[in-house]
Amino acid sequence: MSFASNGHKPPVAGFRTRLFAALMLIIAGLTALGLFFGQRNIAANVERDLQQNFQAELTALHKLQELRDSALAERCRSLGEKPRIHAALEDNALDLLYASAQDELRDLMQQEEPLGEQATTSLHARFYRFLDSAGTVLPPPNPKDVGELAPDAEAELNLKKLPESSQIGYLAEHVDRAHEIFDEVIAVPIFSTETGEVISALVVGFKSFEPASKGTGAGMKSGIWVNGRLHLPSASQTAQDALANQIANAVSKSDRSRNNFTVTIDGAPHFLFFKRLNPDSIFPPAYEICVYPLADSIAQLHRLRWKIGSAGVLLLLGGFVVSQFAVARLSKPVEQLVVESEHDRADRKRAEEALASATEELERSTRYSADASHQLKSPVTVLRAGIETLLNREDFKHEELSMMLHQTHRLTGVIDDLLLLARMDAGHLQIKSEPVNLSQLIEEWLDDLSALPDAPDVKIEKQIPAELYVAGERQYTSLIVQNLLENARKYNRSGGKLRVEADEEGKQVALRIGNTGRPIAQAAQQNIFERFHRDKNTSAVSGHGLGLNLARELMRLHGGDLRLVGSADDWTEFEAQFRIARRTVSHQPQVA
Amino acid sequence: MILAILPASLLAGAGIEGRVTLPKARSAPVVAKRYEIISTGSVLSVSPPLAIVYLEGSFPKPKPAATKQVGQKDLTFVPSLLPVQVGTRVEFPNFDDLYHSIFSYSPAKRFDLGRYRPDERPIPSEVFDRAGLVTLRCDIHEHMRGLILVLDTPYFVVSNADGRYQMSALPAGHYNLKAWIDSKTTREQPVDLRNGQTLHVDFP
Repeated sequence: MSFASNGHKPPVAGFRTRLFAALMLIIAGLTALGLFFGQRNIAANVERDLQQNFQAELTALHKLQELRDSALAERCRSLGEKPRIHAALEDNALDLLYASAQDELRDLMQQEEPLGEQATTSLHARFYRFLDSAGTVLPPPNPKDVGELAPDAEAELNLKKLPESSQIGYLAEHVDRAHEIFDEVIAVPIFSTETGEVISALVVGFKSFEPASKGTGAGMKSGIWVNGRLHLPSASQTAQDALANQIANAVSKSDRSRNNFTVTIDGAPHFLFFKRLNPDSIFPPAYEICVYPLADSIAQLHRLRWKIGSAGVLLLLGGFVVSQFAVARLSKPVEQLVVESEHDRADRKRAEEALASATEELERSTRYSADASHQLKSPVTVLRAGIETLLNREDFKHEELSMMLHQTHRLTGVIDDLLLLARMDAGHLQIKSEPVNLSQLIEEWLDDLSALPDAPDVKIEKQIPAELYVAGERQYTSLIVQNLLENARKYNRSGGKLRVEADEEGKQVALRIGNTGRPIAQAAQQNIFERFHRDKNTSAVSGHGLGLNLARELMRLHGGDLRLVGSADDWTEFEAQFRIARRTVSHQPQVA
Repeated sequence: MILAILPASLLAGAGIEGRVTLPKARSAPVVAKRYEIISTGSVLSVSPPLAIVYLEGSFPKPKPAATKQVGQKDLTFVPSLLPVQVGTRVEFPNFDDLYHSIFSYSPAKRFDLGRYRPDERPIPSEVFDRAGLVTLRCDIHEHMRGLILVLDTPYFVVSNADGRYQMSALPAGHYNLKAWIDSKTTREQPVDLRNGQTLHVDFP
């Protein structure tokens, strides 16, 4: 085993490395994928959060503003319907216009200018003007009564044409040199009660809506951008100028889907959203500007990235450890398999080597036994010839010589059997298979048995169907039958019986030969087919212990078998299984 | 509703009769006939249409004696169109049970009666001393419109709904006969009037 594991370590180690590398690759890939999507998700989330934050702020803001705007617009519309204003416009009494309006708008103009948060809910008007049918401002006789405006600001109120519906605009007003404020301007058309046409417009300026929720949105700052000018109170003037240009660029692109970009204000990154405050207005476009400092978001993003990154590293480490275990677990059976296959290979090799040496030995021994038989046989033949010669001379004692001759016959029989066995062992014995008339063969041998000089008084029973053919070589089949019948006679007791039965069993012919007499000892029963085995109790009976062995080897060579059916209670029975011969062949004439 | 002023000394004077072709009525005639001031384009007229036919020229113009009335009833001026001679005092009685505030920014007469109730005494009134069309408005009820046509002649008449008119006791002489149809349309024809004759003048 140590040889196997040492010698084949490289392939196993290679498998282990490859498996580990594959696992790590998968884990690393999954981690990278997870990191990528996590990162992307987070970036998208941050942007979406900002958007939502902005939208929420804006929505809250706009609800207030819309309420105020609609209140203002409604107020202005109802002003535009006042009979005196109509009368002044329609009955050619423009000189009475501002005077009449002064009465009607007194409540708006005379309110105290609100301070701080009240400004958002107040309807205090800063100024009002009427436009003539061409859209130009009708000059007020007494500007103080209608809210004074700088000439350039007043010029901005001129419209190219009169509006058909109420319009919202934003007007920049310089309060002092550095400070400018934005007024929200609402222009409502005045329809002639006579013609239904727009004959004039009332333009009322209100203090711009200043969102009171400055502190809520985590540093969100809002401002307003009108016609190239930015009003973002929290930023420095230079930053505002730079931003105003950027917004002008973004706005001019008129890409409605995009309403944000990232800017740098006073050195810090900011997220900037813009939204048109007066869509479809004939006043210059005004945009609500919300600036959101990105520092926090970026920091948060960094933190999250670190978290994700470290999670990824942990995941990789965990994956590393797990893969180590998994590889160890997975490669174990493979290694086992490799080791076992090495074992098997070694075993097989050993077995083959053993088989080769055994075959060689067998061949050697077969050769030896063949040689031995031959060497034994020749002197016996010579001896016998000599004895026979002597026997013909009268001066020799006949009895002794006759016994000697008998011994040579026995010796020849043993040698014959040994030779046959040796040929079988060497695999040299070729069977020429032909149909053999077993019934006839048995009859012949039974006749021979009864003709023997020392034939005992044994009753012979036979039950053999006529013309029973088996496949085999007649010479050896005959030898088998002879051996079995001789044994049955030899080991019988006087006054006993010998029974021979044969019958067809499918493709087999079973020949059973039983005899009375002392049974074979239980312990010896399994050894009776071995060479030179003889029951100790039957030493009185002549035999050399090769017969049964020879018979069985021959049976097996014929594709059959020989076995002991049983040996007990004065009855010993053997059964030989022959292959049956084909019926077509069975009708061929037999030469017995 | 012929409102001719016939001084007793001119009973035997000339007469004119005829027909003014009126614009087609814009709405189906209603059972309770009410005339209201409507505007088409920037033109004020009476609906259903009526015409005021009047004689202009240099003839003696006696001071108008009577006081006229334009009441406010059911949030309209009644009558909605009133011709008066220059110098006529017109009273504006309030027949509704609420405030009215009658005023006019018309160049011919600017006045503002302020808010008053039906029981206001004396009845708020104005003297119309310049010829021209005066648009009456109510500061409280912005839809209310009334017209007073101030004429520098004592001879005028309001046609009937078919446009037919009849004038008598007119001074003999060469004059202009005018037919006011709406705020932008006044037709005129020269007429020669002789005593005892009745002229037939149609305004197409």
